[in-house]
Amino acid sequence: MAAIKLENISKIFPRRPLKIKRQYTTLKETLLNFNWLRNRGEVRYVAALKDINLIVEKGESIGIIGMNGSGKSTLLKLIAGIQHPTSGKVYIKGRVASLIGVGVGFHPGFTGRENIFINGIILGLSKKEIKRKFDDIVRFAELEDYIDEPIRIYSDGMFMRLGFSIATNVDPDILLIDEILAVGDEYFKHKCAEKIAEFRKQGKTMVIASHNLGAIKRWCDRTIWLDGGIMRETGIPGEVVKHYRNAIAEKEGKLPLVAAER
Amino acid sequence: MFSNIKELYRCRVLIISLVLREVKLRYQGSVLGFFWTFLSPFLLMCVYTVVFSVFLRINIENYPVFLFCGLLPWAWFSTSILDGADSIIRGGELITRVLFPPQVLPTVTVFSNLINFVLSLPLLFIFFLLFKVKIGISLIALPVIMIVQAVFTMGVVLMVSALNVHFRDVQHILGNLIIMWFFATPIIYPSASIPEIFRFIIYVNPMGTLIKAYQDILFYRHFPNWVLLGIAFCSGVVVFFFGNLIFNRYREFFPEEV
Repeated sequence: MAAIKLENISKIFPRRPLKIKRQYTTLKETLLNFNWLRNRGEVRYVAALKDINLIVEKGESIGIIGMNGSGKSTLLKLIAGIQHPTSGKVYIKGRVASLIGVGVGFHPGFTGRENIFINGIILGLSKKEIKRKFDDIVRFAELEDYIDEPIRIYSDGMFMRLGFSIATNVDPDILLIDEILAVGDEYFKHKCAEKIAEFRKQGKTMVIASHNLGAIKRWCDRTIWLDGGIMRETGIPGEVVKHYRNAIAEKEGKLPLVAAER
Repeated sequence: MFSNIKELYRCRVLIISLVLREVKLRYQGSVLGFFWTFLSPFLLMCVYTVVFSVFLRINIENYPVFLFCGLLPWAWFSTSILDGADSIIRGGELITRVLFPPQVLPTVTVFSNLINFVLSLPLLFIFFLLFKVKIGISLIALPVIMIVQAVFTMGVVLMVSALNVHFRDVQHILGNLIIMWFFATPIIYPSASIPEIFRFIIYVNPMGTLIKAYQDILFYRHFPNWVLLGIAFCSGVVVFFFGNLIFNRYREFFPEEV
């Protein structure tokens, strides 16, 4: 049974005409601009994703690679249900937790304890579930001594640890990870890696978007290379990563790596 | 409309926690705490009392108390509207990074301001004691009026919060509109002093009926005009309905436009 199924997904963002310098339309502009009906045609569109078809089986972990602006984050947001595709359909089976939302709703003035509750509820946990998991969350984040301090005194690392710890304790069926592992010290990175390995063992489905190609190779069963919103290649991580590296080398004007290694 | 309400009901724990956080936040680190809620209507009251009772010499008995009966519910309404207008934009990350029903945000604004209103009621009653104004049995109608106001306010806030994501100047327009609305509502003057031919102004304005109802039950100690209150309720429901329509029309685009 597929955990995620994407059918002919396209996502198109409108890009506002250049002559309007301001970023947002104002009501006054709309009202005063009598030819606004005609102006509509001038809005240009940018396709962030074009005709993506993807089936992720339950328990599979998928890596998404690609350059900045290739549509990785948009794809994750579509799977998470935060954004909706312009055309096509998204089918999801199971509870989705995303590490896109790490630390969302944290308020610096409140204690770690209060923030765990708010953030947990925002991520879809019930109060009872949070109470049950509370100790685990604190232990994993290693914040026992600071949990009743306002989080404005936390270091960036402590902040991220807490966020990560809550998000992974949502106990998802599908876990979406967006370049999160770049933060934290080596020690915590290893801990996260362990957690991810544990998720894999438990047969959870994962979608990981990352620039860390080593991590992609290590953790994923299959890798997708997005290029300008198009699925350029999909296959075994090692292969796809190699081709991706070659393409980048080519772009840099160097010889492809394979050739250079000779 | 019903799907929105159902979704709100499903998120009630979330809403309650966010409302409590909002209320706590307002008073955290401030010395006067929740007296601030009371302080700005209080200052307004002082100003209007000086202007109307001393300078213009309008003779209303216990004018400060009369003012308060209108100013406090108006503060609930106007702060909800002004805070609510950019509630979705302020929500930021909640909208763009997690799956989050956006109507929660304007709802939280309305309810945290409702809590402030309720908290300021005891102080109002202290004022009643100070001026030796009696409190009548009509007080029991208070929750009814508050429900009508909540429905109407929710409708307006849903509407403006959604529009403000798309048209960022809505909140500036509102700032001006609210001032005009304030003077079109019988808060600083009794509705009876409006010439007969202009009286319709308060009847087409649900807030006019509502403020009048608050003054009736608190200050004049008689029950409100139920027919007018019923009409206000119906128009509140209509506004709520349209608020939902507009909200649903735009909500899909919030994550991209915030």
